[in-house]
Amino acid sequence: MTRLLLRYRRGLILSSTLLLSFVLMTLQVRSQSALADLTKHLLLTSVSPFLRIAAVSKAATVTLWNEYVDLRRVRLDNQRLREETRQLRTQVGELREMALETYRLIGLLELRNRVGSETVSAKVIGKDATNWFRTILIDRGANEGIQRHMTVVTAEGLVGRVVDVTALAARVQLITDPESTVGVLIQRSRVAGIAAGNQEGTVQIKYLPLMADVVIGDRVITSGMGGVFPKGIPLGRVLRSSRPTNGALFQETWVQPLANFSRLEEVLVLKQPPANDLPWGSGERLP
Amino acid sequence: MIAFLLALLGVCLLQSAVVPRLAIGGIRPDLFLVLTFGLSLSAGPEVATAAGFLVGLYQDSLSGAPLGLNAFTLSLIGFLVSQTSRQVRTAELTGRLGLLFLAGLVSGLTTLLVLRFFQVPRPWTSTLLWTVLPGTIYTTILGAGFLAMPKPKALRRLGR
Repeated sequence: MTRLLLRYRRGLILSSTLLLSFVLMTLQVRSQSALADLTKHLLLTSVSPFLRIAAVSKAATVTLWNEYVDLRRVRLDNQRLREETRQLRTQVGELREMALETYRLIGLLELRNRVGSETVSAKVIGKDATNWFRTILIDRGANEGIQRHMTVVTAEGLVGRVVDVTALAARVQLITDPESTVGVLIQRSRVAGIAAGNQEGTVQIKYLPLMADVVIGDRVITSGMGGVFPKGIPLGRVLRSSRPTNGALFQETWVQPLANFSRLEEVLVLKQPPANDLPWGSGERLP
Repeated sequence: MIAFLLALLGVCLLQSAVVPRLAIGGIRPDLFLVLTFGLSLSAGPEVATAAGFLVGLYQDSLSGAPLGLNAFTLSLIGFLVSQTSRQVRTAELTGRLGLLFLAGLVSGLTTLLVLRFFQVPRPWTSTLLWTVLPGTIYTTILGAGFLAMPKPKALRRLGR
């Protein structure tokens, strides 16, 4: 028996790993099994502290490099002038960075005050490790009361929803993820549709009636239908819209999201849906 | 083993913190594939398959993918690369890069097929043209740098 196992060990190991992978996928996709979720959480928990440390040490390394290591290269004859220039530039850079951070945090703070319900601000510590999905990792988890399906926003608008939570971190599915769907309204004409992400990382509104009143530049907000996202959060602006002439029943409408997903640094997690529609004002960036 | 786990941890950190900044048109290189590939070149099929499985599980945990998707793909890639590397001239960098390119394509196609099986289909043509192919090319280019580097003794030992 042992000899037989040893003889066919390659095939056995390959088929075992493939079968195990398939079982894990089936457990998660078909039955939302707790075992698959637990395994994923354990793996993520084993890495997330290192991700946090990496984020902190990266900032420290940049500071150390800018303020000390780089200085050693300066030639002696013009050291003073270069140092002065460098220090001024560093100061300008730091002030600019502080101003930008303050600007973003003020935006989040004002948003938090306007929303009125309990929120948690979080930093983005990682982005999706594949080209197949669009998710981000934030540095707040179950310890801060984060739960699945909580809405995540920035001062600009909707970012997505929490899909996985560990003690110290949480994964957020962006609205551009191919598996993401959000009930939306065209704010001006109140026509309802469903905003879905796609493989290209953009957002398309589906099921908008062929004759619906949609104009380029129209604001798109969440409709509150579906029970996950509160009503009234701005999602984007209509980028282009076309009415197919091939007998299709619905318009093809693409939306430019208001949130800039390539530059996300801080987000706000809505722990409870607001009692009333969200007062987002014009939906543009805060002053 | 410790060297492999450290390499895996390093790839996890790089892939989620640094690689997103290297994205071109939303396409990022896949360092998990490069790690599995690099190990499979010198390891036996058993080790390569098991390592691919573990690497894939970590990639799944760091992405929105269902657990097992990348574990499945990278187990297969580990096995195939390890088997193929005995028959192809992988001593030269060009041979290794060609094999890495093929591994990227097989990985993309396998992922597409598995997603389709689990009722999460993606459009074939556009996904192949705008996700799989550019991702594979980018991974191969970046992989050239990693594969040209001398391998640490510990990883060589694990390979044997």
